Amino acid sequence: MVFKYRTYWGSEGIKLVKVYYFDNAATSWPKPRSVIKAMQEYFFYGGGNPGRSGHIKAIEAGKTVLNTRQLLASLFNIKDPSRIVFTKNATEALNIALFGSLSKGDHVVTTSMEHNSVMRPLRHLEDRGVKISVAKMDSKGWVPLSAIEREVNESTKLIAVTHASNVTGTINDIKEIGSFCKRRNIRLLVDAAQTVGVVPIDVERINVDLLAFSGHKGLLGPQGTGGLFIRNGNFLNPLMRGGTGSLSDREEQPDFMPDQYESGTLNVIGIAGLGEGVRWVIEMGVDRIMEHDSRLLEIFLDELSGNERFRLYGIGKAFEQTGVVSLNIQGLSPSKVGEILDRRYGILTRIGLHCSPHAHKTIGTFPDGTVRFSWGVFTKQKDIVTVTRALKKIAQEKLI
Amino acid sequence: MFKRRKIEDIESLEGVVTFFGSHHALRSEEVLKKYNVRAVLIPGPREISPNCGVALRFDYSKKDEVKKILDEFFVHYEDIHYYPVN
Repeated sequence: MVFKYRTYWGSEGIKLVKVYYFDNAATSWPKPRSVIKAMQEYFFYGGGNPGRSGHIKAIEAGKTVLNTRQLLASLFNIKDPSRIVFTKNATEALNIALFGSLSKGDHVVTTSMEHNSVMRPLRHLEDRGVKISVAKMDSKGWVPLSAIEREVNESTKLIAVTHASNVTGTINDIKEIGSFCKRRNIRLLVDAAQTVGVVPIDVERINVDLLAFSGHKGLLGPQGTGGLFIRNGNFLNPLMRGGTGSLSDREEQPDFMPDQYESGTLNVIGIAGLGEGVRWVIEMGVDRIMEHDSRLLEIFLDELSGNERFRLYGIGKAFEQTGVVSLNIQGLSPSKVGEILDRRYGILTRIGLHCSPHAHKTIGTFPDGTVRFSWGVFTKQKDIVTVTRALKKIAQEKLI
Repeated sequence: MFKRRKIEDIESLEGVVTFFGSHHALRSEEVLKKYNVRAVLIPGPREISPNCGVALRFDYSKKDEVKKILDEFFVHYEDIHYYPVN
């Protein structure tokens, strides 16, 4: 297990190298202590099945789930917490939203910035007769409303758009897209996997009908948690059906929230941890977290500016980009850079295509990809300096 | 989270709210407590509802107030019954 140090076997022999975690866009690390404590407590003292019985353990488990649902509702400013459904990750939430709302003959508009968690379900739905248009983003990773508007026609049912790219970190103007959707009476699905907990989201201010999010990234919860917010109505067909603990006398799936979409026993221990993660984020304030990430972004860009060996992708502006930077070093493949960073400097990044081939095609980095650095709320200013120094050293060394 | 529970006197609570789903049952207790309305979760009596396993006991004289609070907080309940303990 790798925690704080890794071994490096170099020309000077074996030494211990401190680990710098720069892959928070994939999953955040470390987690707040309160998250771990809540999960431990649940394991030791909790343990009932929520909603399956009226005994004290079942009720405590149910309260754990309710508590997290309420905390999420207050984070997103959702009035009715039952409109939030727990899933195992953002991918499952996106699948529920896409498969549940689209059928043969429907038209959907998405963007070239999407992750495969949106693209793959959509390509599968295309085989089943759903028509798909892909709005083009510009080379900075930004999708202007006009690009989406161009693709919309009379049969458009849904617009599926990511809140921020996982490759470049560029944040889309969801509010503008949301008000367009309202005007045209089209449903809006937002993939907030990259922005939840790091960019403020208020569902009352943005007209989002479906909001898919993950629990193990910006919300600092454990892996295996995520969710979907469904604004109103009963238009979504459940992806899975099964036991819910309610309407047990019937063999049909319940048609009320949240049971309709939560068949089978929930990941209550994960949800207990997620609740504490959300509480931590609320107490810290999403605005403050965004400020922290943006400040680090400015330092990162500042340190590397003026060096033509680096090719940076994305918008490159604080507050318009999450704590993500994608780059390449001229003359070096991303995998080589990633390997050197990991083995020699203990800097853990994500290299390659980041499950978003379309996005890489647009920024011109297909099929090699980029090296992606993504920090989080626990990353310090000096860590950023360590990373940029290492990068500069690699670039310099290899030039000779 | 796992505090010792007080043993509640539920003899005086003659009303029972039944629910379709447990989320709503648990949330009802929480929102009623916010308004200082005494409410206790109980295993749902099968005779009055086959639905959710959890029901809520409350003071039946406060029926209208309870209804209003539950509606305000989007708590969906099945029905309200007069169902004394004995």
